[in-house]
Formats: sequence, structure tokens, C-alpha cells
Amino acid sequence: MSSTSPGASPQDMQERAAIDRSVRFPVMFFFTSAAAWLFAATILGMVAALKLRVPTLWDACPWLSFGRIFPAHMDALIYGWAMQAGLGIMIWMMARLSRVELRNATYIIVLGHVWNFGVALGVLAVWSGFGNSRTWLDFPSMLWPMLAATYVLIVVTILVMFRVRRDGPVFISEEYLVAAAVWFPWVYVTANLILGAKGSAVMSAGVTVWYMQNLLYFWFIPIAVAIAYYIIPKVVGRPIYSYPLAKFGFWTLAICAGWMGFQRFYGGPFPAWMPAVGGASTIFALIGITAIAVNLFYTMQGKFSLMQFSPSLRFSLFGMAMLLLFAVLSALKSFIGISKYLQFNLFELGLDTLAIYGVFSMAAFGAIYFIVPRITGCEWPHGGWIRRHFWFSTYGILTVLVGMFAAGLSQGASLDAWDTPFEVSVKVAKPWIVALVLGWVFIAFSNLGFFWQLALMFVGKGRRSEGPTLIHVAPGEAASAEQAANVAKGTAHA
Amino acid sequence: MSEPGQNMNLDYQTEGARVSTIHHAVRREHAEPEAGDEPVRFGWLLIGAALLIAGGGVLGTYSGGFSQDQTYAFAYYTGAGPRPPGANGDDGSAKGPWIDVWMAEGKKVYGNCVACHQASGSGMAGQFPPLVGSEYVDGGTKRLAAILHKGLTGPITVGGQSYNTPNLMPAWNTLSDEKLAQVATYIRRSFGKLPEGESGVVTTEMMKSAREEFSGLPSPLPTSELAKLDPAAHLPGAQVDLETGDPLGAAPAEGEEKKVP
Ligand code: HEC
Repeated sequence: MSSTSPGASPQDMQERAAIDRSVRFPVMFFFTSAAAWLFAATILGMVAALKLRVPTLWDACPWLSFGRIFPAHMDALIYGWAMQAGLGIMIWMMARLSRVELRNATYIIVLGHVWNFGVALGVLAVWSGFGNSRTWLDFPSMLWPMLAATYVLIVVTILVMFRVRRDGPVFISEEYLVAAAVWFPWVYVTANLILGAKGSAVMSAGVTVWYMQNLLYFWFIPIAVAIAYYIIPKVVGRPIYSYPLAKFGFWTLAICAGWMGFQRFYGGPFPAWMPAVGGASTIFALIGITAIAVNLFYTMQGKFSLMQFSPSLRFSLFGMAMLLLFAVLSALKSFIGISKYLQFNLFELGLDTLAIYGVFSMAAFGAIYFIVPRITGCEWPHGGWIRRHFWFSTYGILTVLVGMFAAGLSQGASLDAWDTPFEVSVKVAKPWIVALVLGWVFIAFSNLGFFWQLALMFVGKGRRSEGPTLIHVAPGEAASAEQAANVAKGTAHA
Repeated sequence: MSEPGQNMNLDYQTEGARVSTIHHAVRREHAEPEAGDEPVRFGWLLIGAALLIAGGGVLGTYSGGFSQDQTYAFAYYTGAGPRPPGANGDDGSAKGPWIDVWMAEGKKVYGNCVACHQASGSGMAGQFPPLVGSEYVDGGTKRLAAILHKGLTGPITVGGQSYNTPNLMPAWNTLSDEKLAQVATYIRRSFGKLPEGESGVVTTEMMKSAREEFSGLPSPLPTSELAKLDPAAHLPGAQVDLETGDPLGAAPAEGEEKKVP
């Protein structure tokens, strides 16, 4: 079964192979260490959720207290897993789209070690009680210049690749990647500088939410969208439906995102316009997100059945569906009548988890399922594991979301009733926290197969085969054997 | 964290790839993606316009005219709130009737009393006299103010039941006149059987006059001293409009003070 795709000339293939070869070590380095951090983060996440449900558990051990475990979990998830997976994807995709080989692989690997070292120090510090209790910026303050510098030095290579790209139209994913590359340092450094300036405590709470919202809209979401814009045409073999629409979506996000954040503090001790501007730009940003969704929908139209087979397509499209859900929920929360019940409570945790896991991580898994076979030269060992990875991740994130929605709503309603003691608002949410525990158990379980497969691929023990590993190809499992064969032949690419 | 070694057993260990050695995944791949040029959909423009209007609405209604002094331009809590007028930089105009706020504050201050008189005001048999059905509560406000400012000790008969216990009623003169006025209003309106037409409201101004008037009395006040006060005498001070909290007319003259409130 020789499966050469129409339109791919031998020169094309050679070029792609050369590019893949040039980036394989740094990209695999980022993927494997990201996966290791994801493992740590899921374990910490389960323990944190359990502690929230049963606060007296392991009372005597400060290392297992919620106040340390939870931030350690979030930081490992964000800076360990998500940022590194994102960097690996950025490097590979930028090299492919600019059609240039990476020249300084060793340089990136060294910096990758520095990044890992910094994150490990930070997580350990938070875990041993030296965090500074600012959500997502908990690392001791001497660490941030190092992390920022390392990140900048890494993305410089990505920007250089973009600079020396082969002539031709710039693809929309490249725009997102360049933007994400430069936005993160801006957001990260700004937030840390302001926090370091020892302003008022109220303002530092404001800066923290500004940072959180911008990390989501300026880094996680752009990369997830870049992945979808790349993977979908790759797999279905069609161009993106509309470039003008894609551009419009990009610029809407670029313009709106920086204003967000304070809408998490409606009624808070800030000048009223701050949350108002945050809320309005969250709603405006939804315009951009719907543009992306419409664009992807028309690109996919008539080809949705391919999601049955291609893991990359399934994961990245699911990520985009979750993006739409996330953006709609965020926009709804920008109305005071609604946010009154949903702010300052567990629902925010559900929403953040949705963005990091449901949107970004799922899209990143899609990209990883696409990239790793190309750079390691073997196929994923088992489609069934990929299928379980998908379903249990889906169960996990939806359980967390629904549970935290219910918890937040009951908490919010009791917070809103001024004659109810605060204690009650904690008690009513408690039963729902089981969903957080369950969700993280599902996610941890789903990722076991992913870790195992990635490890096999890493040591070169993947499947040696001409065909891709599809989700439904084991004998008797294919929805239609003929269809699966077609997919494997070239209409779809895992 | 992984160490990239040369023995990773990856493909492409040799330089210079020939097509035959290129991995299948790369071979079967489509060309790098491009973007089409379809026009923007009209239906989507409608969604966009709707969102634009919604966002503008949020900005307009919530931003408080972009003033740096406006903490929030809207009543975040819209029901009859516990917030006293003037709190948190708003003028209290949209807070519901004044009396509701006054009573809610009074209920909070009454938190000081529940240990002895109970939340229901029923007291505790043989130990703490009730406020419900007590002539000290719904009678003249002068006597009530004296009890609150000075405390009380000695045998007392409340609602036909006599209490002669070593328990004493502590003085509450550490509370502000406003708080005492609020709690007095609260117990009078909630527990007392007020005569027809009486609002039961005690104002800050009235409480203030009581503090001055009774400053010479001993504390805790013996019931024998209390008995010397006119049981029906009211504190001087203007009655207020229950909707707005503004004084009604001029303060009653000296001789009239017993008639109202
Ligand atoms: C430490 C317990 C205690 C607390 C707290 C207390 N009281 Fe009393 N109160 C008493 C006792 C005891 C008496 C009866 C005194 C006596 O026997 O002379 C009394 C008597 C009274 C009386 C007159 C008798 C009656 O039942 O009408 C009033 C009115 C009153 N208290 C109001 C209040 C208010 C209002 C508060 C809260 C600001 C309050 N008390 C807090 C113990 C308390």
C-alpha cells in the first residue's frame, strides 16, 4: 500500500523529512518532559481535589495541605506540561510552515533544561511553602526573570525561522504562533513587574486576574487555534475555508484580549470601568472565536466522519468545540446578573480547567499525535489506547466542568443571600467537589495510555508500519472496513 | 526529564534522506496547508453584530461613566439590602425604604442580646426576662433608653412575671447612639405591641439626648431608680418618614413630647 498524497512531490517530501529531522530532538525533549510534568500535575490534581473534599485528610502533613498542593498542581500543569508541549509544537510547526530546518537544536535543548530546572524549583518551592500565593504566579519572585529570559531565548529561534521563511503567503497558524511567542513574555513580565512594585494588595489581586485571563487568551488559545488551523487542512486535505475570516478572528482576539481580567471582580473595590471593560472585551472576543469556529466548520463540512479515525483531527476539533464553549461561558459570565452567581467560587476553577485542559491540552494532544510519528519514524502502537485517552479525557473535563458549575452556582446563590452565613456557602458546594476528584481521576487514567505510548515512541518501540494508527482500525472495530481502508490510503492522516 | 541521546533509535540517523527512506507518515502527508478566499458569511456577521451590541451594553451600563471615583455604578445587590445608606460610595437611593435598612441594621445589633434574651426575644424562664410582651419595650422610649445606656439590676416584674435573680443587664453605652437607636427600633417594632399609629422608631438624635440626660445615673441602674422614671415618657426628637428617613416637621416642643411617636 503505497500511500503518496496527491500534490506532494518528492522534493516536498524530502524537504519535510529534512525539517522533521532537524527539529526531532528538541521537540521530543519538550514533549517527553511535558508529559512527565502532566503526570505530576494529574497526581497533584487528584490529591488537591481530595483535600478540598475531605479537608481533614492527612492533617498532620503540611506537604499535603491544600494550600500547597493546589498551586503546585496548577503550576506544574501550566509551566511544566502546557508551556513545554506548546513550545515543542511551536518549534515543529514553525519549521514546517516556514520551510526551514532548525539549525540550533542543541541550544534549544540546553534552554529546555534550564526551563525545566526553573519550573522544578518553582513547583518545589510552592510545595514546600515558599510560594507567594498569587494564582498562577506563585513561584518565588526571584524565579521569574530566569523563566522569562529562558522563554525569550527559546522563542527567538522560532521568530528567526519565521524571519527567514521561504517566500509565499503567510499561513494563519504562523500568525498565531508568532503572536503567542511574543505575547507571553509581555504578559508575564508586565504582571511580575507590577506585582514586584509592591502596590496595594487590592491591585495585586487585579493584576493577577489580568495575568490569568491573558495567559489564556494570549497564549493557550492562540496555540490551540494554530494547531487546529494546521491539523484540519492537513488531515482533510482542503484549504482553510476563508483567509479573510481567519484574519478577522485573529485581530479581534489580538485587540480584545489585553483588556480582560477584571471582569472576575465585578462589584470589587476597583473603579467600575475596569471590570466593565473586561466584561465587554470578553464579549467582543467571542466575535473572534465565532469567526474561528465558523471558519473551521466550513473547512470541515462534509468531512466530519474523518473524526472517527484520525486521532489528531478528533483531539484538535474537540479542543475547538471546547474553545467555543469556554468563550460562550466566559461571555455569559460577563453579565452581572449571571456573574453574581458564578464569580468568586468554584465555577471559576471549572472554567480555567476547561481552558487549560479542555481547550489547550486536547488540541496539543492532537498535535502530538500528528507530530511524534513524523519525528520518531514509527507509528503509535495502539489505536485503542488513543481512543481511551480521548474518551476518558472528555469524561474528565466535562465532569469537572459540570460539577464545578453546580458547585459554583450553589455557592454563588448562598453568597448572594446576605443573611446567610458565609460558612453555608462552603458547605453547599462540598458534595459537588466529588466531581473534581472524579474528573481528575478520569484524566489521570486517560493519560496513562498516552504516557506509555509516548515512552514507547521515544525509545523507538512504536509500530513499524506504512499506515497510520487510526482510532478505529483493530479488526472488527472499524465502523466500516472499507472506509477505514480509504482513510488509511490517503484521504486521512493520523 | 529526558536526555536526548544518540541511541534514541529514531529514524533518519543518516544524513541526506532519499525518498525511499522517508518515513511513511511524511510521505503520505498532504502539502502544507493554505487558506481559501471565501467571503465572510452573512449569518455570522449577524452573530457578530449581536455580540457587539451586547458588549457595548455591558460597557455602557457597568462602567459608571469611566469615573475613577465610581466603585460601581449599579446596584450590585438589587433587593432590599442590609447596606446602610451612604455605604460604599452610593447614595442609597435605590435601596428600598429607609425603615427596612434601619431594621436590618437593628437586627445585626440585636446579635449582642440574643445570648440572654434569645433571637425570638422570649428570654429565659427565671433568668432573663422576655422582650416580647414587655412593657419596658413597647412603653415609653425614655425608660428603654435608660436601660440600654445604663444596664439594669435588681428585682423586676416583666409581663406579670417577677424576676429576682443575681443576673444583671449589662450597660450598652459603648455602642454608638446610632446602633442603640437601631436596636431599640428593632425590638420595639419586632417584639413590642405598639399602640395604634405609633411607628416605634427611635432615632439617633433621640438616643443622643438620652445619653446626656442619664449620664448622672448609676450603672448598672437599680430597678428602684428605674421606677422613678415616667413609664410613658418618650425621648424628645422628631419622628421620621419611614420611606426616606427624613425628619417629619419640626421637633415637638417640650410639653408635647409624651404624645408621639
Ligand atoms: C448578659 C445577659 C444580657 C444581655 C446580653 C442583654 N440583657 Fe437585657 N436583661 C438582662 C437581665 C438579667 C435583665 C433583667 C435585669 C434585672 O433583673 O433587673 C435584662 C433586662 C432587659 C430589659 C428590661 C426587661 C425586659 O425584659 O423588657 C430590656 C428592655 C433589655 N434587657 C434589653 C436588652 C437589649 C436590647 C439587649 C442587647 C443590646 C440586652 N438586653 C442584652 C440580661 C441581658
